[in-house]
Amino acid sequence: MTSTKKDPVLAVLQLSGGNDGLNTIIPYSDPLYADNRPSVRVSEDQVLKINDSIGFNPALAPIKELYDQGKVAIIQGVGYPNPNRSHFRSMDIWHTCEPEKVGSEGWLGRAIRDLDPQGENVLTGVNFGRGLPRSLAAPGVPVASVGNLETYGVLTGIEGDQRTEALDIFSRMYSPAMGRGQVMDYLSHTGMDALKGADILKTAPEKYSSSVEYGNNSVAQYMRNIAQTHIAGFGTRFLYTTAPYNSFDTHAGQMVGHSALWSEVSNAVSDFHTDLTESDAADNMVLLVFTEFGRRVHDNGSGTDHGSGGVAFVIGDSVKGGLYGEYPSLAADKLLEGDLHFNNDFRGLYSTLLEQWMGMDAKAVVGGNFEQMDFIKA
Amino acid sequence: MATQALGVSLQYSHSIGRGEFSGPGFRNPVALARGADDIMYVVNRSYEYRPDGKRVTICTVDEDYIGEFARGVSTAGVTDIVTEDGSLIWPTSVALDQDGNVYVADEWLNRISIFTSDGEWIGKFGTEGSGDGEFNRPSGMVFDADDNLLLVDSQNNRIQKLTKEGKFISAFGSKGSGDGEFNLPWGIDVDVDGNIYVADWRNDRIQKFSKDGEFLMKLGTPGEGEGELNRPTGVAVDRTGMIYVADWGNERMQMFDPAGKFVYLTTGNGDISKWGKDKLDANAEMWKEREIAQGIERERDFWGPVAVTVDDQDRVFVVESCRNRIQVFRRQEPMFFGGRL
Amino acid sequence: MASPDIELMAHLMRRAGFGATYEELERHAAKGYDATVDELLSPKDQPDLEMDLLERYFVDWKEMNALEVNQAYLTYRMINTERPLQEKMTLFWHGIFCVGNSKCEHGGQIQTQLNMFRELGMGSFPKLLLALSVDPAMVFYLDNCMSHKDAINENFGRELLELFAMGVGMDGHANYTEEDVKECARAFTGWTIANAIPRYPYGRHPSQFAFNAADHDYGEKTFQGETGNFNGDDIIEIIVKQPSAARFIARHLYNFFVADEPQVPAWQGTPPRDIDAIKELEDAYFESNYDITAMLRVLFKSQWFKDARFEKVKSPAETVAGTMRLVQDFTSPKPGLHPIAMEIRYMGQDLMNPPTVEGWHTGQEWIDSGTLVERINFTADQIGNVALPGVKAIIDRLSSEGVNQPDALIARCLDMLGAYSLPEETRNYLVEHIGRSGELKPGTEAYGAQVAQTLQLIVATQEYQFA
Repeated sequence: MTSTKKDPVLAVLQLSGGNDGLNTIIPYSDPLYADNRPSVRVSEDQVLKINDSIGFNPALAPIKELYDQGKVAIIQGVGYPNPNRSHFRSMDIWHTCEPEKVGSEGWLGRAIRDLDPQGENVLTGVNFGRGLPRSLAAPGVPVASVGNLETYGVLTGIEGDQRTEALDIFSRMYSPAMGRGQVMDYLSHTGMDALKGADILKTAPEKYSSSVEYGNNSVAQYMRNIAQTHIAGFGTRFLYTTAPYNSFDTHAGQMVGHSALWSEVSNAVSDFHTDLTESDAADNMVLLVFTEFGRRVHDNGSGTDHGSGGVAFVIGDSVKGGLYGEYPSLAADKLLEGDLHFNNDFRGLYSTLLEQWMGMDAKAVVGGNFEQMDFIKA
Repeated sequence: MATQALGVSLQYSHSIGRGEFSGPGFRNPVALARGADDIMYVVNRSYEYRPDGKRVTICTVDEDYIGEFARGVSTAGVTDIVTEDGSLIWPTSVALDQDGNVYVADEWLNRISIFTSDGEWIGKFGTEGSGDGEFNRPSGMVFDADDNLLLVDSQNNRIQKLTKEGKFISAFGSKGSGDGEFNLPWGIDVDVDGNIYVADWRNDRIQKFSKDGEFLMKLGTPGEGEGELNRPTGVAVDRTGMIYVADWGNERMQMFDPAGKFVYLTTGNGDISKWGKDKLDANAEMWKEREIAQGIERERDFWGPVAVTVDDQDRVFVVESCRNRIQVFRRQEPMFFGGRL
Repeated sequence: MASPDIELMAHLMRRAGFGATYEELERHAAKGYDATVDELLSPKDQPDLEMDLLERYFVDWKEMNALEVNQAYLTYRMINTERPLQEKMTLFWHGIFCVGNSKCEHGGQIQTQLNMFRELGMGSFPKLLLALSVDPAMVFYLDNCMSHKDAINENFGRELLELFAMGVGMDGHANYTEEDVKECARAFTGWTIANAIPRYPYGRHPSQFAFNAADHDYGEKTFQGETGNFNGDDIIEIIVKQPSAARFIARHLYNFFVADEPQVPAWQGTPPRDIDAIKELEDAYFESNYDITAMLRVLFKSQWFKDARFEKVKSPAETVAGTMRLVQDFTSPKPGLHPIAMEIRYMGQDLMNPPTVEGWHTGQEWIDSGTLVERINFTADQIGNVALPGVKAIIDRLSSEGVNQPDALIARCLDMLGAYSLPEETRNYLVEHIGRSGELKPGTEAYGAQVAQTLQLIVATQEYQFA
């Protein structure tokens, strides 16, 4: 890299299960909110007000603080046409940008391929968690999926000196040899890639020092891992993690559960930002927080069921804070089968991030031209 | 004098429940105990991968939600399962002592956990094994009139009588298919005289014993006809000695008279519960979808009728593990109570 | 060293099943190869799993609702079935006749389909295609319920030809025309499903197939050169007569059981690896009146099958089920099965939720740097756990055989894992490593650890990733 300007990096935090947008950014002054939420409602005096009509759930206080500093873009009414209320299908649509047919390639998989077509850096994309989300999957695109950054690598079950020796044997076994056929060669190459990726990644915790103490929950720990990897400067451009599987699926006991989840997430996000700032690594990082759908306008007595029309956040020093899109109307005639109507296609959100932040061409990645927003500082 | 006997039968009353991993609702409920003041305790086994849904729900017969206690624990990495006091892995049954304390059996942990009527943990007992007072996969439980616990020790194929602190008193039964023998027994109940009824699950029958464990009677043979049973899981006896059997493999509940003669069977009559209505109101288009759904009458049928309980008001509760629902019936008998003619 | 009989049996059990312990291989070898093949081909002679017992302990298996519940069940089946070829064929059809949970959201409905594959997957091909065409999960997944006589939806009609029964083309020519696709779709109009009962509040109910005569196009159709007022079953009868159908199934069987072929979209232009083998399978197809078991019999008894050692990259399902069979864990109900089932997903095969209707890409495409790490670590963790009965059995056996030299230890460990072999160089690394770990004293605790670590290093090799 000859330029001194740092490459832009995008981190994604996926809130799996369908976050209740209505109780995240709350239309507290709308009487229809109270009407529809007899049981699952945040009272007006609790709401952290943004303006006369909407405000944050109090569990998002740390994010509200960043918002007040102008670092949070709130993307309202985000979704896609013909909303699907299946977790699997809806998440697939967000992952693949294919609302019409079942697609297999992820948008970030395509983006990684565009950035690094030869797969020269095995760490261009890194996921924290077990298994690869479809958003990062594309044939021939290597993405490290890290369950535990401290111990990431092959043969983690072997301990101590034995491990060092085992890895030495592994690297000798996987060194390319002549005349063993194309499939064997491919396996060797892949094995060496994995080893290389692990060797690099394991230096991240070593290089890292910080005064920030993250919470003791998986979102916080993975956000910390993202910070460590970013700060270590491996040339990683896309980082990804997911809140525990379907945890935001608050069908019941939502008032307690939802607030606890957001308290973990918003503290993790705030710690992440502080951490990067401390290491002078915040300026080239933007964080996207999204979910597969919003939830029903009307509560079910204890929680809320699958709906549509969610809310997303884009957070970072390079973000122009504020409200984007429109808050969907709660009026009965404006609802779609009892759900908030989206007014903001998520592919426009992706396009903005890819083009205005990452400096890439978005059209092929998201499958078309979509109206972009203006939340990235010029 | 020849008389025409009027039959005893059951009338459907109402349903309780809906599918939820917490709060008002159940997830794969497997057992129920009736407490004071119309309260009931429902044990939820939940999915293996959703330990958060394992719990005991407290609610009323009129479907008022009161609370829940005793959560499941994750079984990822089974060798390091953290089984702190009061947690659940494979809960099977619930019984109430005379003080109203709640005993919950866990057949994986071989542990009985004891809670107050409000769900506060107060104790536990249980050791895996086949010796006196030890057990291997406890299934059904019930307290007798002396406030001793009768416990189905399923993989030891016996019934143990224990004090409420878990001390061994006596035991009867062994593996086999003869009288007084068991093959993986499951549910249990006692009648007003202290006789003991056991759902002898893999022998497809119910056996009746004296309070001392002496074999008295059996009912049911393998099959799907009237009075025949397919893997009966639960048994309950009412004040008059009528016997109710959760005929799990045949997806129905059968009623027998005190002599063990078949009286009545039902395959279920469920309709929309209060919590179910709330759920549909929050998902209003589903009301319309129900109108055009084909074969919606299937919803009335039992699916996984795994436990049956009868209370002292002759209300019969059938727990359906797969529909997350309890169907309540009321015994009807030809006794004139003096109303309007 | 394992005898040639054992080596061959290990090969057969890996392919026709999910692998076997060394003791099982010895038992089968004693019975003989042909007798073992015949036994595999008659799954119903073996007992099925005891569902009453399983549903008692895995209470959620009676309802079979969520995807993960079904995946755990499927994993348990693969580990424990005494009808391994039946289960393998279920997986085979699942990889071709794809239906995904992402567009169904009811694992139980897909399980119903897999049960149908278990029942019919080793029988008549037209019967299987017919059952597939009325399978509610399929009707919904490929939108046939949205295909009407006045507005056809070609999705199912097209995939029936392209991905389920004929393939786009063979030997460089096309197998069907766009007109055939339309006519096929017309013949299946009115093959629909009844309106479902909504999932709230009491959970999902099985969907039901329905034939809607009022929405069926009874008009004349021309399909593959034949003309008539065809209904769906007529179309299936015509399809199965085509050489392309024989070729398609033969090639799929070859790819699944014998040796990795290129991915399906390349088949039109790429000739089969072994055209003679394919021809033998095609002959069996026609001679038996489209019987799948007849094809399998020819396949497993052929020399080309016996010779095709380690020509396939293991699928994630084979990797996990095979490992569990080897270490003999989860042979009866116990908690903790879900994480084992999830490993298959982490390795890139989310069972009952394939990425698209094309299914999973197989062969070397199973492997990328992430999935390779998952499979090596999972396998090594299991095989290195000396508390597991299968691992203990290996250690005990080697102990009692008095294996106390590094090269002998490696040879026997390779045998125990299914008669694998390694290039000399790799063996030398391992010999060196064991040499450094101290003297081999059978019967000691240290010996167990040395055996376990040798097994771990072997399962980490490239060679072990092949079946």
